[in-house]
Amino acid sequence: MKKNLLTIIVSVVLALVFVMILFVFQVRQSEVAVVTRFGQPVRDVTTPGAYFRLPPGIESVYKLDQRIQNFEDTFNETYTADGNNLLASVYVGWRISDAKAFFPKFKNGSVKEAERNLKDIVTQAKAAVVGKHPLGDFVNANAQDLKFDAIEAEIKALVQAQVAANNSGIRIEYLGVKRLGLPESVTESVFALMTADRKKLADQLSEEGNSAARKIKASADREAQLLISTAEGEARRIKGEGDAVAAAVYPVFQQNPELDKFLRELEALEASLKERSILIFDSRTTPFNLLNNTLPNKSSK
Amino acid sequence: MPRTSGGATRSDIFHFSFLTFNYLVDRNTKRNGLVNFLVLLVLGMAVFGAARYAGSLAGQVAAVFFGLGTLIAFVSWFQMRLEERELAEKLEIEELARTKSSSTLFEDKETAFFPARSSRGAFEKYFVTGFMVVLLALELTGAILLWRGLSTMTYVGIAAPKMLVALGLFGGLALILFMRGRFTVTIARIENNRLLRPASNFVLLGSYLCVLAGAALLGDKIEFPKADLFVAKFFTGLLGLVALETLIMLVFEIYRPRLKGKVARPLYDSRVIGLLAQPEGLVATAAQTLDYQFGFKVSETWFFKVLRERLPLVLLAQFGVLLLSSCVVFIEAGEQALIERFGKPVSGNNVLGPGAHLKLPWPVDKAYRYRTEQIQSFVVGSAPKDDDGDHRIILWTVPHVKEEVNYLVANRQEADAATDNSSSKKVPPVSLLTTSIPVQYQVTNITDWVYGHESSSNALQNIATREVARFLVSVDMTELMSVKRLESAQALAERIQTAAAARNLGVKILHVGLQDVHPPVKVAPEYQKVVAANQQKQARIVAAEGEAIVTNALASAQASVITNNAEAARLNLELTATARASAFTNQLRAYQAAPLVYQRRLYAQVFPRATANARKYILVTTNTDHVITFDLQHNATDDMIRQQAEAITQSAK
Repeated sequence: MKKNLLTIIVSVVLALVFVMILFVFQVRQSEVAVVTRFGQPVRDVTTPGAYFRLPPGIESVYKLDQRIQNFEDTFNETYTADGNNLLASVYVGWRISDAKAFFPKFKNGSVKEAERNLKDIVTQAKAAVVGKHPLGDFVNANAQDLKFDAIEAEIKALVQAQVAANNSGIRIEYLGVKRLGLPESVTESVFALMTADRKKLADQLSEEGNSAARKIKASADREAQLLISTAEGEARRIKGEGDAVAAAVYPVFQQNPELDKFLRELEALEASLKERSILIFDSRTTPFNLLNNTLPNKSSK
Repeated sequence: MPRTSGGATRSDIFHFSFLTFNYLVDRNTKRNGLVNFLVLLVLGMAVFGAARYAGSLAGQVAAVFFGLGTLIAFVSWFQMRLEERELAEKLEIEELARTKSSSTLFEDKETAFFPARSSRGAFEKYFVTGFMVVLLALELTGAILLWRGLSTMTYVGIAAPKMLVALGLFGGLALILFMRGRFTVTIARIENNRLLRPASNFVLLGSYLCVLAGAALLGDKIEFPKADLFVAKFFTGLLGLVALETLIMLVFEIYRPRLKGKVARPLYDSRVIGLLAQPEGLVATAAQTLDYQFGFKVSETWFFKVLRERLPLVLLAQFGVLLLSSCVVFIEAGEQALIERFGKPVSGNNVLGPGAHLKLPWPVDKAYRYRTEQIQSFVVGSAPKDDDGDHRIILWTVPHVKEEVNYLVANRQEADAATDNSSSKKVPPVSLLTTSIPVQYQVTNITDWVYGHESSSNALQNIATREVARFLVSVDMTELMSVKRLESAQALAERIQTAAAARNLGVKILHVGLQDVHPPVKVAPEYQKVVAANQQKQARIVAAEGEAIVTNALASAQASVITNNAEAARLNLELTATARASAFTNQLRAYQAAPLVYQRRLYAQVFPRATANARKYILVTTNTDHVITFDLQHNATDDMIRQQAEAITQSAK
């Protein structure tokens, strides 16, 4: 009896679990469910909770994520209005706005398939909008001249219009330009431009250095010359003062100019013979005249 | 002992009848073994075909079990044949022994007289062991390959119409296999039919595998996406377990005690398969295993008896405890959890912080944990290399990212030049900048973070990348890398925060780093040259300033020398003049007293002093007509002689 009761309890629990699996399904806050009966969508469930269903084979439940989905389109090359090649990619935030409309458009409500479909539309819209704008609307040193937001709005409007026309049950929540770039060949040119720009700047800086150095040196030379010239002028003035003082004693020498002349000549003689000189005297020159009187005569010998 | 007319005793007749019965039973067993082999082969192929048709992964993995079962069924059938031959041989010998009065001929039990028995012995000893090694290799290889394949494959799901067909096929095959399996399992319970058991277990297990594969198909379409993949992985794990058991059985076979007269369990009779095929015999199987390995009746101990009686209750209690344990949820520090009741957030209390919390049991309430306090980060632009060490030197000219990502940047200098130079077409200047910008953030609102986007981190990354691109296209590159780096980082953080708030991402941007923003590696050397040129410029200016200082200092010194010399000269002049005047006054007195004498005396004083250093030639004879020639050239020898003489004189002093 005890064993039977246990068997009954286990059987009831298992039966309940089985019935729950077959007849009940849950929808999460983040989900929306589409119920199909013999393959035909009959209702969608957008609010979370537990719901009844007919068993599999009759009804199937497909759960779709109703949160915002994100994807990024291809980083591909487009052509701007002013004839520049530009690489651009955009990201898109979209969500299922009408599950019943969305479900049959894509195989079993496949989000991946929907994104594949959207990607085509987005790439087309992007190319169309980029083609209407010059490069300056994308990249510009003056922020006021940029039309980034307007371009994004234009692409979004185009995509939304196409999605609405397809009645895909999709709403575009937001769209943004994620990346901008240049093709490789253009990139090389930009690199060359950047290199030339830097070289110019480097040369400019180098010459500025030379110029500044020269100016500094010239200024220093000028100042040095000025100093020396000033000093020489001052020296002349000082010497002049000395001459003036020396001239004050000249009247003393005026008392006997002859003696003064004799003294000056003696001084001059002494001064001029300070260095090694060669003097040729004859015996009449004082004091060598003494030689004539004192040397013995050959004949007297 | 009473004897029959042929000389045989009653016991002999009874023994002979028993052998005859066994022989007939064995022939029946052999037939069942063959049927099992064919069932596993044919239905296994049918299962594989149905699984391939519907794309059922679980069904395809189940077919591997059918393959293994087929091999085992064949080997066991072969062994049955050998045993049948052995029994026939024994029967024949018994018959001969019974009819002959003397059994001397057959008393000798040499092997040579029992070829069937020796064949069976050799088969069990060598072939079965070899077969087990091959089986182990097959099971291991299959488990590893299947696991790898299932782990790396992209699961695409099952088409609904095919699913229904496959479901019907699996159901039908499961029914056939179940009926056949139960029948042969019951027959195999007879001791003599032990060889029938391995294949019978596989047949019954095949039935359950078909049911599970069908349930996986159903689950895939109802509530549990990827159920088929999970069941396929479970089957693969089971295959690995069976391989492990085969390995253990091979090892145990070496150490197993051999009891005389005890019929050995076939080596290929898997206990795991037996347990799965007949789960009701869990205790019996365990007991049988223990009995077999230990060599005595472990199954008759009180512990085993209690366990056997209460096992369902224990299992039920464990299930209850498991369910109760799901009523408590522990949230760790730094985490938050969202509670959903039947998928709907519990009003007012759906966000749980760190600590222990009560909830309704699974599957009514479900908790989803998220790390919210943890600082998370991603990189916009070039991803840094994995081996990025803390002390690594990062240079602009050396690649230090996985793949260089260049962003378009405006260049204000070139813009001005372009505006000035071109009249017809205004070409915006473009430069390229390599960025690796780490963005750190924290989840502040878990509800927004979880329910807003399918992948909020991906959305945030997209938004941040957009803001970076948007920011760079109008900022001046040189300024960004120099004076406005910090300011730009703050501006970017604000922009990303604003954009994230507009999308209700529920995050707080903590940090945006612009430390690794620089020109592309290819042009980076040119930027370094500019820096070098600037340094050279400064160096030249500093050098010139140094030279200027030296020039000015020298000039100042020279000026000072000039003025001082002048001062000295002036002083000398003044003093000399004064002294001369004073001397003249005195000399005048002497001169006035004896003019001629004074002159002569003064001359005589001065002359020797004045001519002391002069070379003197004196012409003594004046009144002759001799022509005297003087060589007044400089005579180096004389100089040298004189210098030596002076040196000697000085040294002598």
